[in-house]
Amino acid sequence: MKEEFARWDTLFVQFLKRDWKKIMVWVLGLGLFSAGFVPAFEEIAKDQGLLGMFETLQNPAMISMVGPTPIETAADYTLGAMYAHEMLLFCSLFSMIITILHVVGHTRKEEDLGLMELVRSFQIGRHANSLATFVETVFIHVILALFIAVVLISFKADTISVEGSFLFGASIGMAGLIGASIALVTAQIMPTSSAATGSALGVIGLLYLVRAGTDVLNVDLSMFNPLGWTYLTYPFTENHWILLVCGLVFTVLLSIIAFVLEGGRDLGAGYLPQKEGRGNAKKSLLSVRGLLIKIQKGVIMGWLIAFVIMGAAYGSIYGDMQTFLESNEIVKQMFSHSDVSIEESFTGTIMMVLISLVSILPIATVNKLFTEESSLRLSQLFATKVTRGQLYWTSIGIAFFSSVVGILLAAGGLGSTAMAAMEDRSVMSIMDFFAAGYNFLPSVLFFTGLAAFALGWAPKLGKVVYLYLGYSFILNYFEGLLDLPEWLLNTAIQSWIPRMPIEDFDVRTFIIITLMSIALMVIGYVGYRRRDMIEGI
Amino acid sequence: MTNIVEVQGLQKKFGKVQALKDVTFSVAAGEVVGFIGPNGAGKSTTIRILLGIIKRDAGNAKIFGKDVWKDSLEIHQRVSYVPGDVTLWGNLTGGEIIDLFMKLHGGGDQKKRDELIRRFELDPKKKAKGYSKGNRQKVGLIAALSVDSDLYIFDEPTSGLDPLMEQVFQEEVEKIKDSGKSILLSSHILSEVERLADKIVIIRQGKIVETGTLDELRHLTRSTITLATEGDVAEIATVNGVYDFKQKGNQATFAADHQHINAILVKATELGVKKLEAVPPTLEDLFMRHYKG
Repeated sequence: MKEEFARWDTLFVQFLKRDWKKIMVWVLGLGLFSAGFVPAFEEIAKDQGLLGMFETLQNPAMISMVGPTPIETAADYTLGAMYAHEMLLFCSLFSMIITILHVVGHTRKEEDLGLMELVRSFQIGRHANSLATFVETVFIHVILALFIAVVLISFKADTISVEGSFLFGASIGMAGLIGASIALVTAQIMPTSSAATGSALGVIGLLYLVRAGTDVLNVDLSMFNPLGWTYLTYPFTENHWILLVCGLVFTVLLSIIAFVLEGGRDLGAGYLPQKEGRGNAKKSLLSVRGLLIKIQKGVIMGWLIAFVIMGAAYGSIYGDMQTFLESNEIVKQMFSHSDVSIEESFTGTIMMVLISLVSILPIATVNKLFTEESSLRLSQLFATKVTRGQLYWTSIGIAFFSSVVGILLAAGGLGSTAMAAMEDRSVMSIMDFFAAGYNFLPSVLFFTGLAAFALGWAPKLGKVVYLYLGYSFILNYFEGLLDLPEWLLNTAIQSWIPRMPIEDFDVRTFIIITLMSIALMVIGYVGYRRRDMIEGI
Repeated sequence: MTNIVEVQGLQKKFGKVQALKDVTFSVAAGEVVGFIGPNGAGKSTTIRILLGIIKRDAGNAKIFGKDVWKDSLEIHQRVSYVPGDVTLWGNLTGGEIIDLFMKLHGGGDQKKRDELIRRFELDPKKKAKGYSKGNRQKVGLIAALSVDSDLYIFDEPTSGLDPLMEQVFQEEVEKIKDSGKSILLSSHILSEVERLADKIVIIRQGKIVETGTLDELRHLTRSTITLATEGDVAEIATVNGVYDFKQKGNQATFAADHQHINAILVKATELGVKKLEAVPPTLEDLFMRHYKG
């Protein structure tokens, strides 16, 4: 038995040496993200903020996203309660996801890469690597939990108690360990490391969806969900330490199962057979368009789903808009305009936010062509009768298509949830939302055009377009808050576009920006046609 | 014979680095040209210019009498290319990628494809991310060999293949050669070039340093001779054109200049020949001579 784990300690020390930078970034990054928002929440909690938040988060749509709170009346809702309510579930999720990537990366991934073969040729036991990975993960999460607790305590907020702080940190740590044990099991079962990562993430996704349902229907049912043993500990309010014990037992059991499974399999192989792919290509793949769509389908679908969810999330606020906006001076300043309803003025700003998000997708689609080029995957295609124009304009076409669909889904998601939330009090129709969304289409085209221009003339600068997007987003987002000079605002493309529905549609601006974008694309094409392809040189 | 590929005084700069200084060579119809040189000599750069992937700074490059940059599409219809490092889309299977390449090239032969998959022992249903280097290379080769072209450009095509698969590749190239197609074969495996190539072009630091048939090139260098005589073999060492003389008992091994071979043989018969072996220089010897010297 001992032989099976031989020299795990050597591997463990080796892992720490190899990973210490990663561990630093992990603990600092996730730790500060989990605990560092206390000042921001203190800001929100001012005046009637707690009350407003409490009301907003009672909405079933919000509960299904962030989870429930044990507090029953707004008067008892404290800063601590709000912090745990809004932060803990998401931080637990992040913790799980990072850990899954880490655990599979150290186990099956290394087998797939052939590294493990070399390691195992020394006097290293069969389970030594898995055990070392597991112990390293425990080590990281103990540090992470303590770090989060210390950061939380350091803010010295009244309702953020010492006990609650430690429980908050421990819950996030426990989430990581649960993720680790799930990953350890899928790493044994699945045929490849990517399938192991994918299925472990899938399990987490499923647990999240299930808890969304049970949280709304009956919170007690969520107690049977491993994910529930993290955010339902209710730090700063009820402090249910006992749930962490459930998590610990679950982790230990699952890890034992993983080790038993590992004992019975070959190196580099799982229990499920490798899924056979197609021996011949489908007809739909056999073109430049087919290929470019196929290799980007996953990313495009992922973003489109994200747009719907983002839209729906903002849309669900419309029901309690009044309470939400009145609750806080800053929020009020950002979203209010005189002589129009708050719903409409909120729509104008939030649409800018959503469509800026949508702009990420076409930029990514255009940049992808350069990624393909520099990773040499197109070398053999360049030597066929496929023209550079085909590659270029097909990418632009896909970018355009995903922009139009992205706006449709974001505006539709926002509009339909908003309409549902406002019930018969609605001051807007669904068409108002679509109009407000497509009003921003030229800005999306402009970002696409910039990316296309970069692709043609300075492909390595393609990523800079994201920076400009971030910059112009921030300018527009804080426009109402800070007193920014006109010329500075005008450096952001969105500033030129009127905020519908509070402002009127402007045909001239719409056409001019669209034409500018098309010009950028054409100029980009000229560059793309005549430049050297950059193949890892 | 008409020239399929015609390259003259090609130059290319990457930033401050002069990658190609002066590249001149040609590939005639039905000819296999071995393109050899050490890493970084400019082989791939030359090939990329020929494919219109990058643009030359100076010089001329034509395939089928057409400009490689301006008329690249017309040229590509009749060209097959396999890069030295075939990279593939991880989530597509080998079979899918072969089909895609064939379709985008046009004029593929499905039967030929299936036969090549069998000969190269490739599992076409596996996702490309699970392929080893050798298997990725097979995907590129099968796609290129399944379509009908007039010029085949191979840039170190067999890197990562095992000797058995190398053999299969060489047989396939011989078939193409027999059907009168032209081939530009850049390779590090000199025995492969030796076996297949009619003509050899050696590039070094962006310059073509030698061109000719293997026989012609051999003439420029020395054969290795092993000689045993009845008399004192040491006397051979004094003959003109004998180099690297090494003696062991009455047997000697040395390098001999081809133009002095007669004088050497005369001296040898004087001493009474017991044993004589002459080995022509291998391509490797040629290669080493050019790169070390």
